[in-house]
Order: sequence, then C-alpha cells, then structure tokens
Amino acid sequence: MKSVRSHILVCTGAGCVASGALEIKSALEESLRQHGLAEEVRVIGTGCLGPCAVGPVAVVHPDGVFYQGIKPEDAGVIVSEHLLKGRVVERLVYKDAVKGRSVPALQDIGFFRKQVKNILRNCGVIDPLKIEEYIANDGYQALSKALTAMKPEEVIDLVKRSGLRGRGGAGFPTGLKWELTRKSAGTTKFVLCNGDEGDPGAFMDRSILEGDPHSVIEGMAIAGYAIGSSQGYAYIRAEYPLAVERFGKALVQAREYGLLGKNILGTSFEFDVEIRMGSGAFVCGEETALMTSIEGKRGEPRPRPPFPAVKGLWGKPSLLNNVETYSNVPLILTKGVAWYTAIGSAKSKGTKVFALAGKVNNTGLVEVPIGTPLGEIIYDIGGGIPGGKKFKAAQMGGPSGGCIPKEHLNVPVDYETLTELGAIMGSGGLIVMDEDSCMVDVARFFLDFVQDESCGKCVPCRIGTKRMLEIVNRICEGKGQESDIERLIDLGGKIKDTALCGLGQTAPNPVLSTIRHFRDEYVAHIRDKRCPAGVCPALVRAPCQNACPAAVDVPGFVSLIGEKRYSEALGLHRERNPFASVCARVCFHTCEDKCRRSTLDDALSIRGLKRYLVEQEVTIQLPEIRDDEKNAKRKIAIVGAGPAGLSCAYFLARMGYRPNVFEAEQRPGGMLVQTIPAYRLPREELAREVRMIERLGVDIQTGVRLGKDFSLTSLRNEGYEAVFLGVGAPQGTNLGVPGEELEGVTDAIGFLREYNIRGSAHVGRKVAVVGGGNAAVDAARTAIRLGAESATILYRRSRDEMPAYAEEIDEAEHEGVVLKVLAAPVEILGKDGHVAGVKCSAMVLGDFDRSGRRRPIEMSSGEFVEEADQVIVAIGQAVDADSLRNGVDLKLTRSKFIEINPVNGQTSVPWIFAGGDAATGPSSVAEAVGSGESAAVGMDEMLTGAKHAFWRVERDVGTAFDPEADPVQYPRAQMQLIPVARRRQNFSEVEQPFGPQDALREAKRCLRCDYRAKE
Amino acid sequence: MPSLTIDQIPVEVPDGTTILDAAHKAGIMVPTLCYLENVQAIGACRVCVVEVEGAKTLIASCVAPAANGMKVQTNSRRVREARRMVVEMLLSDHDGDCQTCDRSENCELQSLARELGIRQVTYAGDKSRKIVDSSTPALKRDTSKCVLCRRCITVCNEIQGVGALQPQYRGFKTVVGPAFCSELKDVVCVQCGQCGAVCPVGAITEREDIDEVWAALDDPKKHVVVQTAPAIRAALGECFGYPPGTLVTGKMVSALRRLGFDAVFDTNFAADLTIMEEGTELLTRLKQALVEKKPVALPMFTSCSPGWIKYLEHFYPEMLPNLSTCKSPQQMFGALAKTYYAQKIGRKAEEITVVSVMPCTAKKFEARRPEMDGSGVRDVDVVLTTRELGRMIRQAGIDFASLPDGKMDSPLGVSSGAADIFANTGGVMEAALRTAYEIATGRPLPFENLHVKPIEGLEGVKAASFQITGALPAWSFLEGVTLSVAVAHGLSNARKVIERIKSGEGAYHFVEIMTCPGGCIGGGGQPRLTTNAVRKARIAAIYKEDEGKKLRKSHENPEVQQIYREFLGAPLSEKSHHLLHTEYTARAKV
Repeated sequence: MKSVRSHILVCTGAGCVASGALEIKSALEESLRQHGLAEEVRVIGTGCLGPCAVGPVAVVHPDGVFYQGIKPEDAGVIVSEHLLKGRVVERLVYKDAVKGRSVPALQDIGFFRKQVKNILRNCGVIDPLKIEEYIANDGYQALSKALTAMKPEEVIDLVKRSGLRGRGGAGFPTGLKWELTRKSAGTTKFVLCNGDEGDPGAFMDRSILEGDPHSVIEGMAIAGYAIGSSQGYAYIRAEYPLAVERFGKALVQAREYGLLGKNILGTSFEFDVEIRMGSGAFVCGEETALMTSIEGKRGEPRPRPPFPAVKGLWGKPSLLNNVETYSNVPLILTKGVAWYTAIGSAKSKGTKVFALAGKVNNTGLVEVPIGTPLGEIIYDIGGGIPGGKKFKAAQMGGPSGGCIPKEHLNVPVDYETLTELGAIMGSGGLIVMDEDSCMVDVARFFLDFVQDESCGKCVPCRIGTKRMLEIVNRICEGKGQESDIERLIDLGGKIKDTALCGLGQTAPNPVLSTIRHFRDEYVAHIRDKRCPAGVCPALVRAPCQNACPAAVDVPGFVSLIGEKRYSEALGLHRERNPFASVCARVCFHTCEDKCRRSTLDDALSIRGLKRYLVEQEVTIQLPEIRDDEKNAKRKIAIVGAGPAGLSCAYFLARMGYRPNVFEAEQRPGGMLVQTIPAYRLPREELAREVRMIERLGVDIQTGVRLGKDFSLTSLRNEGYEAVFLGVGAPQGTNLGVPGEELEGVTDAIGFLREYNIRGSAHVGRKVAVVGGGNAAVDAARTAIRLGAESATILYRRSRDEMPAYAEEIDEAEHEGVVLKVLAAPVEILGKDGHVAGVKCSAMVLGDFDRSGRRRPIEMSSGEFVEEADQVIVAIGQAVDADSLRNGVDLKLTRSKFIEINPVNGQTSVPWIFAGGDAATGPSSVAEAVGSGESAAVGMDEMLTGAKHAFWRVERDVGTAFDPEADPVQYPRAQMQLIPVARRRQNFSEVEQPFGPQDALREAKRCLRCDYRAKE
Repeated sequence: MPSLTIDQIPVEVPDGTTILDAAHKAGIMVPTLCYLENVQAIGACRVCVVEVEGAKTLIASCVAPAANGMKVQTNSRRVREARRMVVEMLLSDHDGDCQTCDRSENCELQSLARELGIRQVTYAGDKSRKIVDSSTPALKRDTSKCVLCRRCITVCNEIQGVGALQPQYRGFKTVVGPAFCSELKDVVCVQCGQCGAVCPVGAITEREDIDEVWAALDDPKKHVVVQTAPAIRAALGECFGYPPGTLVTGKMVSALRRLGFDAVFDTNFAADLTIMEEGTELLTRLKQALVEKKPVALPMFTSCSPGWIKYLEHFYPEMLPNLSTCKSPQQMFGALAKTYYAQKIGRKAEEITVVSVMPCTAKKFEARRPEMDGSGVRDVDVVLTTRELGRMIRQAGIDFASLPDGKMDSPLGVSSGAADIFANTGGVMEAALRTAYEIATGRPLPFENLHVKPIEGLEGVKAASFQITGALPAWSFLEGVTLSVAVAHGLSNARKVIERIKSGEGAYHFVEIMTCPGGCIGGGGQPRLTTNAVRKARIAAIYKEDEGKKLRKSHENPEVQQIYREFLGAPLSEKSHHLLHTEYTARAKV
C-alpha cells in the first residue's frame, strides 16, 4: 500500500452534497494534480461530520484542520496554501460565535470536543462506499465473533446486559425485544430496520445509512443470528435517495465478501437484507404501520397486541429496531458490556445522536452520552443562542415530543426525565427556541404536522387533533376563549388515552407540554389578545409595537419622523405613552430587541430616533382630552407620582377625570427622579412632561406619605371612589452576610435617592457596589462622578448575565468603574465599626439553575478581599406592603408585591388598583407606563361600566411606503457620547442626539412590518 | 382458558377470545361502531375502549385478547368520558341532517349518541369534504355522513375481494372512496351493495327509485306489474319490526296490491323457468362434452346474481363462456311480462311498467344493462330493494301488521319450492338438481326432503358429487357419471373456486355462485344489519316456505308448463333464446 502524506476528508453527506461537496472534491483532486500532489495527498469522500449548516466541510489530516463553507473555487487555495506551504487558510476555518475568534483544529472546536462519537464513529472518517475501510476499522468483527464464538442466546444476553434501549423513540430494552422475538413460535422470522426517519429536522439515521451503512448491516445480521432469522428488510424513506443508494451498494459489497447470503463467514448462518422504500408517510415510522407498508398496503397502524415479536410482517414474528439501534450492536460485541455501560446514565446506557437545530449557534448532528444535561448540549456543543437572545425552550422528540423550558436546562437528557417533563427522546430531534418563539405558535406548527400526517384510521387522532388544532388556531388569531386551555388539556388527555397508535397517543404532546410550561403565553393570547413573542400575525401589528409594554405605535412615529412630521409623531407617541422625552433617554427598548431589521443587519435605533424627535419639540402639545362632567366630579386618588401613577393620571385625565396624585417625596417622578442619575435623564426633561400631565387637570401633592399622612381607609372615607397604588419598590434588600450593620454600608436606592433628591450624598474613597443590575451601575457611575477614587462592581455571575443594560455597563467601564464578576460577597469586613472591605468568594459557573442561567458555585480556593470604605448593596428592591395596606386586605404575590389582574390593574380589593414596580417588581419605565394605562382603563370601566380608551384605536398615519422597494442599505446610526473626561465631577447628559441627516436616514431603515396590503 | 374479571364479574373464556366477547359472556354490553362480527375487528373507532388495570392507555376491547388475571372496567368514568369524547368527535364531523336521512332511527351513530347520553356537541369546526357519488344506478355514497368505520372497505376488499373502496388521503382529509376519488361507475365496483349493507350510517345507501314507481302508479295509461324476488318474503317483515326469519309472503302481496299495482307476480315463477332453461343448458353442455366430445366450457356457472356476473366480467373475462347464458329470473320475468303477459291482456309492451322488488342493489344495474331489452323495450323498468319497498309501504300509510294474506296473480304468480330456495346459497344448485336428476333418471333427487345437505349452510365454499345411476334412455350418456358441483357465496369465495378450477384442483360440472354472503337473503338491499344469525333465520324461513309447498320442483310448475305450451315451445327454443338468454361483456380490471 502506498503511503500518503495527507488526507483530505470531504464530507459527502446529503447536506454537504446538496451544497456542492462533490464539485469541491473534484476541484481538490484537480488542484492536487496540477500541483503534482496527487500521489501524496488523497481526497476521500466520507459520511456526515455533523455541522451541516456550515457545509460543505472538510478536514485535512494529519493536521486535523477543519474547513467550513468551502466553495469549489477555494480548492486551489487549500491545496496551494495548506498542502503545499503548510499554512492554514484562516478565512475558511471555524469561528467561535461567542468569542469571535478562529478555531482551526477540529479537536479545539467546542462542537466536536464535547461529543462522544461512538455511533457516528465512522461517519466523516471512512469512505462509506468501501467495505474495506469499514473492515479496517474493526468492521464485521462483531458478526464474526457472534457467529463463531457465541450462541444466539449469548448474543441476546450480551445485548440485554448492555442496557441498550431502542433509539427510535420509546426506549424499549433492545435485548428484551430480541429475546421475545427469538422465543416466539415459528421458523420464519424477520429482522426489520426502521429507516423511515420522519421528524422534521432529524436526520441521524440518514447520516448513518449514508456514512456508515455497514454498521447497520452488521447489526441486522447479528440480530438475525440472535433471533433465528434469515431475512431482513431495511425500510428507508424514498426521500433519502443517497442513503438508499449507499446502503444498496453496501449490501452488494457485503454479499461479495460473503458477509450476507448463505454460509456467512463459512458458518451455516444465512442472512440477507432487502431495501424497501417508504414514500414519506410519517406514520410509517410506527412499527405496525411500517410492517403494513412493507406488505404493500396503505401504511396504517394495526392494534397491538399481537406485538410484532409474535405476529409481525406477514403475520410472522418480526424484530424491528431503528438504524441507530442496530448501529450500536457491533460496538457492544467488540468492545464489551463493561465498556459500553460505562457511558450513559443509570437507566440508559450508551450515547445518543441528536439533530441540533433552531436558534443555536452550531447546528447539526451531535452525539453525546445519554444523561448529558440539556444545557451542555445547547451551550457547550451548540455554542449558545445567536444574537445574545435568551433561551426559551428546547423542543425534543419531534412532532410528538414536547418543549423543555429554561427551568430544566440542567436535566439529564434520558428517556425517563424527558417523559417526566412531557417531552420524549424520540429519534433525537432537538430544536432550540429563543425568546422570539411563540410557544402557542410552536404547538400549532407541530400539531398541524401530526394532524396532516395522521393516517385517519382512528377517531381521536383523525378528528380530535383537528379539533385541537382548530382551538389553537383560534387562540393564535386572538379569538381564544377563557375555557380553551382547559378544553385543550381535557381533549389532549383523552386523545392520548384512546388513540390507536403511538402517533395519536403522542400527538397532543406539543400542546400539552407548552401549556404545562408556558401557560402564561396561552393566557396572554386568550385574555390579553397579545402574542408576547411577537409572532402570531393576527395579534401582532409590528413586532416592535408588540414588544412595547406601552404599545406605542413605533412604525407610525418612525415613519412620521421620516417625513419630518415631528409634531404628529410626538402626538402619536403620547397617544400611548406621555413620557416620550423620558423614554427617549432611559427606555430599555424591547422594541429594538424585536426589530426585524436585525435579521438583515442591525435593529433600528428606535430610541435614538425618539431622542431626535423630542429634541424637535418647542412647546409641548397637549393630547386629545374628552371632557366629561360626570367623570370630572368623581374622586380618584393616585398614590405615588412615578411613571406608573402619572401615566394612570394622564390617561384618566384624557377621559375627563380629575385625579389627585399624592407623592411622598418632595418632587414628583418616582424612580425617574430619585434613582436615575441626571447624566442619563436631565431633570428638566422629566419636569416638562410632568408639567404637561398637570396641565391636563391632574393635581399633584408632594410630601404626603401613605401610611403616615393618610391611609387607604382614610381615602375611602374622604369619598375617593378608586385608588391607584403606584408606590414603587423603593426598599433595598439585604445581602444577608455578616457585617451589613457596619457604618458605610448603604443600599443603592437609598444612596441614589439621597443624592438625587437632596443634592448631596456621602461617598467613600473606595466604593464597592454589590449587584449586577441597573441600580448597581447607576450607583457606581454616580459614585465616580461624586469623587470616589475607585468604584468596583462585585457580581456573582458572569458579565453576560448582568441584568443591567449592556451599554450602561460599557459606559461605566469607560468611566473607570471596575467590574469584578464571579465574585460573591461572603462577609463585610470592618475596622472600628466602619467598613473596611468586602470578603468575596471567587465563583465559577456550574450547572444550570431554574432561571436557565448557569449557577455560580464557590471555587474551593478563591477568597479575596476587596478593600472599600463604602459598600453599596444593589441586589434587589422590595415594597413595604404591610405599612401601605394597613387595615385593607390587599392580596400580595409570592414575592410580596401587590397582586393585580394584569389586564386592568385591579387588586383583590375592587376599588384599589395598582401598577408599576409595586405590582410587577422592579421593572422598566415603559412597563410602568403600560400598567398605569391599563389601570386607568380598568378604573374607568369599573366606574362607568364601559371602556372609553379612545387612544387604543389603531390609526393609519398616512405615511408613504412602497412595499416593492428594496430596503435602504444604511447601517444603524449611533448616538454620540460626550468624552469620558468631560463626565467626571458633573452630571451632564452623556448621550447626544442624532443630527437631522442621520435621523431621517435611520427612520428610512424601518421595514414597516405594520404595512398590510390594502384589500 | 384465561380467566379474568370484567366489572368485578369473573369470566372464563377460551384462548383468543376478545375482551369484547368476554364481556358479552359476562352479560356486559360494550358499545361498538367499527366492529362488526365476522366482518371486521380493527380497533379503529375507539368506541369500545375499556380500562384494563395496569395498561397505560385505554384498550379497544374488540381487538384485545382477554388474558389470564386481567381486571377490566367497562364503565368507569375514564371509559365513559373517553367514549363520549370519541362519539362527540364523530358527531362534530358529521353531516347531522338526521331529519332527511334514510338511516334516521336505524343509525348506529345516532343510537350511540343516545346511549352515551350526549346531549350537545360542544366541538365545532371544519367538517369533512362532502363528495356525493350517485354515478351508478345502484348506490349512492355521501362522504359527509361517513364515520370512516371502514366496514365497507373490509367487506369490499376482504369478503367480496373486489377492492373498489379504499381510504383516500390522510388525517382529517381522509375519505372512503375508489382510488383517486374516482366515481364508482368507473371502477371495478360490482354494485352488490354489501358496503351499504354494513354501513352503520347513511353514507352508503341504495339509489332510491321510489318516486319513479309512484310516478308509474299515478299514470293511468300505465299497466304496472310488480315481481318480488324469493328473498324478499323472508326479510320484509324486519322493516316492520318482525324478527328476522318471519315469512310475510301473504302480507307482502296485500301491501303491493294496496300500493296500486295492477298485478302482483312472483319472480319465483321466473326462477322455475330459469331451472328449466339452465338445467337444459347444463344437460346440453354435458352431452356436448361427454358424447360429442366438443370443446365446451365446463363447469357451467349460474348466472342469476348480477354482481357475480360483473365480477367475472372484470376479473375473469376469460371465464365468461362458462357462464350460463340464461338471464336472471328478474330479467326473464321482465321479458315475459312485456311479451307473453302483454299479449294475454292485450296491451303493448310500452304500456306495461315492470317493477321488481329485489334484495339486491346490483339488480338496479342489471335492469339497465343495454342487452336487457328482449321485449323490444326495457324489460324491467324500476328495481326497488326490500328496504325501499318497506319505506314505500310506510309512505302509503299501510299498517303492515294488520294486512290480510293475499295471493299472487296469474299467470306469472305460481312457483315451486325450488324457486323459493333461489334466495339462499346452495338453493339454485339444489333446485337445478331436483329437476335435472329427476329428468335424467325419472326418480326424485335421493336426498332427505330433497335437500342436498353438503351444499347447505354458511360455509364459504361447498362442494358435492354424486354418481348418476339408472339414467333414462334419453339420458343414457349420463349413466355412471359422477356429477361434481360447487357452491360459493361472497365473491372472495367465488375467487377461490375459480382459482381452484383454473389450477385444475377443482373439476366441477356445475358451479353456483351468489355474490352476497348467504345468498340473496343477505343481499345488499335487505334490511340492516344482516349478521350470520339473521342469515340463518332468513334461510330457515325460506326452507320452511319450500317445505310448506306441495309443488317443490320447477318442472312441475303448471304455469311454467303452460308457458312452454302456449308461448315458448321448449327450453332453449329460439324464442326462449331471444327472450331468456343473453351474452356478456369483458370489462377492465380497474
């Protein structure tokens, strides 16, 4: 045999072939010839390597360099650079999605490194069209061992002891199945291989058939020997032409080598395999339907018992396993039970191949030990979620599987656990979904699939799933009824209980599992007529508007800016949100997170546009008010002049009410004035908008505190018909570590309030801020401005997990704030009763907790002391509910916030409404505005018995849009920031607005998702 | 012998018994829909689900075998609610136009809904596609009423071996119909109506021709005669609440008179005539084969059953020469009514309307075959099924139970017992043998009570052979000949016989085939449901009618003798060839 210097393994799985692998292979060969390397370097077409999305891929050995996204024209450079000069072609190597760096070596790529390739051992390594390569890799040794050294019973015993379970879905113990089939009476028996992989997105069986067909043939032959069968059938879907072709060629080779046919390996054992092509009915993956189909009839399941082991194909005992299961068998025989059982979990041994798809950086086929935590598959192998989005759920087990939410990222992926959580292993489909997936829509998609694929034989599956689909459809269309969820659960449960086959019995799973884990999304669709993820077209006018808690007509005001119709744009904004100027500065802009433009390049700078817009305002204009004598006479009290209370007052005033606002502090604005520093929100901007609200007839009284100067009962006694509680969550929470009582320890809210309201606050020399939220960042940046020598933020998780806005963190760092992440305070150290430092534990990220984040765990040797003379604690906020509800039986949530009906803000006491942080816990300004508006509408409805929210009507602003035109190609505009040097010692606004040219251009970037063709 | 408890009642049943049958044994009725005894047990509808301790899901009792130690609950809340859900689902997808449905009050879905206490259908939504196929003269299919129980499919594929109906499409879109949703007229359907006979709802029915009959009766220029097939008298009573197997010949005659028919005749008369013609044809063929050594098609097949004829035309056109050239009794009757009888009453053929009442839907097709105009016009004008006659009698407000017994008119009204047994499997053969044997030997058929025991009963394929001894001189060529006959009913059994003949395994002289299981008494136009128990009861009634007659052999029928004397001359004469015999057409297999 000639020795060669290098091998280029080109993946020729169906995915890579479809994207041009064969052309690349010939181009490589041609280039090697041209460079005279044809003798030194061999090009080999292999089976699937796994990362199909970045295909075509190839690996150059012995260097182990992995190239992806190759085009035929790249062949020349790979040969001339890599093979001739030994230089890796940087441009074609894998890029780490998170860290952004190149990773040339296969073994360094997370996607490959964390996998355990047993079943896929030969895929991407050998040429599937050459039986010699399979044999060279220990192929057919297992068959030889079985036939020459083992009795059939011994083979079965071995498979039983290996703990191998069916990889087709249900996880039935394989050895037991073999034993039952062997023990069945009858001389004619069949070995059947299920290659009718039908789950959307799953293709592991195809890859094995294409990349390592002999492992399946060998597994089937061993099974034939074990159960006493001489005939096998491989049922492969007709949509897998390459698999059929390669498997067919492998059969011919095996026969030529005497590994199939009569007298195999010189023994008396006879076995052969025929291919039967299935024409793509999902139900034919069900064992009885598969057999009916092989018999030449319409593929439909038949009742069990009798089980196939007793009466299967043509009424004969039949053993049916899937491709992946058979592929395990040779390994068990050659490597032994001890080796095999060392991998996997207690109840499920070995590895499992998953088809990783959806919103995950690395997609493709991955093989991991059974029992690997879901989070590891998604994050370590899959490389996490693209675009910094949040993981929402993993849909596992194909259409009849279920969704696993972030709370369970840490669960070991095995048969039992998945079933417990309402999903199934299935054939290994794993679809990752992020925050942009609507779980009702996901359920609808899968239900639609199974409804379409139902064979139509039994009533529950044929009609029941259709009725479920109709209910889910109407929920998605915003026509759901309150009882629909219970109805789906009831009907789904009964379908599971009565359907004829596995397909029908699992068909309701997508709905049941999403209801179980994402019931609130169903409720939002049904009750609020909202699709929180912004997916369902009937409920979502535009994703940005849908994402705005105040439901501001974003495309409306953006397009008005584009036409320089500024006052209309502002008016439109204030239809739903009075705080245009405030939000232009501090809004956390969920609208931008959902902007569809981000799929093209970057999200629209909606906040930037809004900032530009409010700069154009000369005199503030009042919104439409509908005077109403009756309403004007009603007494309504609003407690708290924060964004929630003031918004509530604003909308009440527009309906003709004259509410009274009571504010405990000296200045109205709530958190906007008390904690948000002026460098983010200049005081005058807030004051302008508060004055606007006052001009609508709202009376604001400051310096009166609920619980001290008045009470809910006293308001009632004074004749107030309704009260809105917008008292915020102004209480800091304790760390719960020793030393918190020391002088110099303060909470962030208190610290910020003191400075912002009173104009001065004590600040230390060395300031340590504990926490990772916006309050922590604000406190640190304020401390720096107030003259602290240093400000250090101590946060126990990683930077990625900090709840503060990313741009705020960046700016804090620019201003000199030091970020120490993975540091958890364990004690506050003191000297003479005063703070001297914070003792911290260094942390590492461990497994996933119920919030879907990696749990920080203490490193054994990593304590350090952060010196500090002031410690600002910013780890959470609370509401002092007891003092405010004094005498009134107000129900609280589990986290001790005020419980409300989110639709109308009503509390458990009908005349008391609430909103903002006091009800939701610390949240955003926009959330507070939205909740104030809902409560205003709710109060009005309670008082008048009707809804008068005239601003909620959708209006056509009459801006021009040409749906045929291509999107403009400008990149996202950036707001300028004042230099860091100019920020010290002062509170000047950091962010500077766009100029007109930038703003108008930016406005034109909007894709106008709100546009609907007029009928 | 597994022993188990069902609703705490212990039962012991033989191996292989289903839970459903075990429950019956314990005196518990489990509701069913798609299940049909001796026809189909496929567990498709899920109405018969029961709770089995330890099982993950509910179990379809019609297919699940009873196992030792099993604990079964047939009436738990879980079971009741599941059954209601299933039936409610069916109702939510059902046309539901009960008021105008011919199955109302005789509809299994309606009964189930009532029995399960469903008072409201709480699920609304899309309904299945409505495809109405009335392309054949025999049947009407309406998919919007179909519950997809698949009984029709099983009957058509497995019992009849025809395969005209299959499930089409998948999921909610599934409908039952011919491949590619063709019309029945374009496929191999033999129009036997067995599909409609087992349909639990109104999805497959005969095409109703009652209005045409009323129109003829209302027309003063028409002389309307009616003939009733042998099988009607043993089943019509069921339309009026009589138990299966009640003979209502006399009341039937009175009812027909009250409906306004100008003459009430009997197809049985023509059946006797058929024996004369067919018997002679058989003897002639035997003579040609045995004496003249001519290549003649043997065995000879009976030709009374139009479904069977169409089946042979589709599937075994090469065997068509084996079919007797005799028309069926219905068609012989029609031809004679418009010639012989017309002459007698001095009317023209055009002025006579012949209505037949048949147990059979294929007879509607047969009457419209182009060759069936020996009289110069359509020999038979309208064919009603037993069920249609029942409905017509109700429409006329006739109180069937209080009717006096009437008598058939002459000259086409007298018949022998041999004609009666045309109604059941083995009957035509026995009738033919009664005559042929006696003609050949001068002695009566040597079987007790003239019944040929080996070809009686519901066995699918039956055969008999006996030696002829003491033949009369005219038939001496038969002396010592062992005559082999075979009888089959249900077309898949017919296929078995044909395959046996083709393989040489079965060497018969004469073969009787009836399309429907049990023969005409189990015809596609008979009152539903025809179970084996019902078949047996009807057959017993037919034998009773036969045995109760003095006249039991066709050749002894005086009116038959008269017609040969007066009109036809002799069997196989030129006139009878013209009026009573026909030829066949090869048809495509799809």
